[in-house]
Amino acid sequence: MAETKHWTGSDKYLCDPELAQAFHMARTLGMPLLIEGEPGTGKTELPIHYAKDRGLPLEVYPVGSKSNVEQFVARFDHVKYLRDSQIEILNAQREEKGLAARSTSDRNPENLKDYVVKGPAAIAYSKPNSVLLIDEIDKAPREFPNDLLYALSHRKFIMPESGEVIEASEEDMPAIVITSNREQELPTAFKGRCIYHYIHFPEKDVMEKIVEKHHPGLNEKVVKVALDVFYHLRRLGLERSPTTREILNWLKYMSDIAPKTAIEKIEGLEGIGALIKTQTDMERVNRMIGADNNLGSPSWN
Amino acid sequence: MLSSLPSSFRKHGLQADVRTLLILRKAMQKGLVKTLGDLHNALKGIVVKEPADIGPFTKAYYEYFLHVPIAPGQTLEDAILRSETFQKWKTQYIDEADKEVDLSEEELVNTFLDQVHLTSYDIKEVIDGKEIWDKDNPDLEDEDPQEIDGQPAERVLDKMADYSDLTLEELLERMEKVKDQQRTNHSGGSHWIGTGGISPYGHGGAAKNGIRVGGQGGGRMARKVIGDKNYFPIDRDAILNDNNVDAALASIKGVIEESAIEKLDVPHTIKSGLKRGGLFIPELTSEKNEELKIIVLIDNGGYSMAPYVRTVQQLFRKMKTRFAHDLEVYYFHNTIYDRVWIDERRSTYITVEKLLMHSKDYRVFFIGDSAMAPYELSALSIRNIQAIVKKFKKSVWLNPEPLKYWPGTYTIQAMKQIVPMFPLTPHGIERAVREMNSKSTEG
Repeated sequence: MAETKHWTGSDKYLCDPELAQAFHMARTLGMPLLIEGEPGTGKTELPIHYAKDRGLPLEVYPVGSKSNVEQFVARFDHVKYLRDSQIEILNAQREEKGLAARSTSDRNPENLKDYVVKGPAAIAYSKPNSVLLIDEIDKAPREFPNDLLYALSHRKFIMPESGEVIEASEEDMPAIVITSNREQELPTAFKGRCIYHYIHFPEKDVMEKIVEKHHPGLNEKVVKVALDVFYHLRRLGLERSPTTREILNWLKYMSDIAPKTAIEKIEGLEGIGALIKTQTDMERVNRMIGADNNLGSPSWN
Repeated sequence: MLSSLPSSFRKHGLQADVRTLLILRKAMQKGLVKTLGDLHNALKGIVVKEPADIGPFTKAYYEYFLHVPIAPGQTLEDAILRSETFQKWKTQYIDEADKEVDLSEEELVNTFLDQVHLTSYDIKEVIDGKEIWDKDNPDLEDEDPQEIDGQPAERVLDKMADYSDLTLEELLERMEKVKDQQRTNHSGGSHWIGTGGISPYGHGGAAKNGIRVGGQGGGRMARKVIGDKNYFPIDRDAILNDNNVDAALASIKGVIEESAIEKLDVPHTIKSGLKRGGLFIPELTSEKNEELKIIVLIDNGGYSMAPYVRTVQQLFRKMKTRFAHDLEVYYFHNTIYDRVWIDERRSTYITVEKLLMHSKDYRVFFIGDSAMAPYELSALSIRNIQAIVKKFKKSVWLNPEPLKYWPGTYTIQAMKQIVPMFPLTPHGIERAVREMNSKSTEG
């Protein structure tokens, strides 16, 4: 592998050392890295920032409920192929009548390669050392991960119809990162072929650093008070615990306000809707405030 | 020694086999494993496949590599303090320190954890390679630092590669060897030291300069993992409760029928083809169907069901918010006669006849203990339940009563004849869903 140097994050992305190590291991072994973890723990960000930081080409495949391996690797555009071949017939007729020919762009029905639409996988495999992100694989239909298995266990793809072979040597294998929110269990065999890493939710001290990276120059005290509230809410066991993304948004809102007022606002739980997303949770929090007037002050933890 | 790893890890309910060893070996060959901390992290990446594996993995690892068995309910700290490994390590640690060691038990455990979880990445980060790596050659009695040549950083990597051809046995042996050598030398040195060859570069050189070596806090994480039930598998055969409701949700998800297909749109193709004067270009449409129609019938009468009703409601409410739209909940008491109630207090109802008007695609979950006086299960009731099951082919009964009481309860046995019955556990729900899926609504 050419690109196996240890990467520990960039100035925009704080990479947990354990994750950095897992990622390094995956790249060194040429295996995909499967990352799971709560929403907002930066799963998707890892390959994006890695590629950006190292200046590597990045291919992203966002998985949806209609995903299939064809889209991921390559498919043959039958419709375009039929259209172009029909147009050839049409052009012959038009020529007889002395009309100008319709164009098929620069595609030629004789050349099957022109009709292969390459997916992110095929593109990534043809560029050495690229980064391939398969985002939210748990959204895929059941059979997708199993189909993917075959693709991942070989280092080559055969293009449909044209038979073109795209191959990556072990040295040039793209760094493959797969993320999942665990909305569906992935097949055991699939997991067996990946290096697995579960991102733990960041502890307070790490979260402070994350906040620092996103909102540099934010008043320390404001951050501290806000994080107190944030972690307290998380401990309540709400239906939908607030995540990193939400605390960052909340702090963004607070960053425009003078620190002293901001602290007051945070203690008064103003704009808490940024953190709490469901009606039941909101009711629950409101009840808690009613029951405990000290909730606003940092002394409650 | 290592060949017993898979079986030992499997005892903890983990997936480990020859492939695990092969990948581990490859990782070693690539120079990824140089310390016990590395070994921990590498194995974790290979063996752990979901968060619930992390707890058992940590236990298995401590037991297998450190001989620190962690009993159920025990904290990591406690287990370490009671272990022989720790005692040995402690004696040695105190021996090696020149000065008086004045540490509390807690601090000692922290130091131990730091050493155990120290990774080569930490080392590289903390001391920038240089001194310590260069001195690290077990065959050299380390008096002779003159050896160091110009470009340490690069050389470090070369040297690190030395370990890569080793099998784990050799690696451990090497740790042992260095340790012996270490003993003859001064303390605070720079080799694999510590607990019977456990950890390298411990409290000595690096930490002396005021840098804490256990940089990434793997030990802290291990401690957290042992104390947190989220990192242990939930008992899938336990009756549904607040803790395993999410696991149940995962198994119940299997009832969604989802299809996404690209189809040739014949009318559109013909229409546009005629417009083009007979030039037919196939037009495609994609069709996506996500179908989930569910009727839940909950027995909320009597004390026997009271503990479960709330959890069941929670389960189906979560399900409704996440992916089901056509979800209807009705209530009954013990068994169904001619009506089911819409509200929990059973004041408004719909008749079974009306219930039967639903499309036959609905899946029906009966939830109840099916325990009642035999006379309650009257012919009328049986007829109505049979009618429901006949109309809705995909019907199952989920029973919170522990399986062992089923044979002793007459009405459970009778009901079981009519509706396929499964225990109300994540595992039972999974089997119920599989049973449902095996039936077709046709015919």
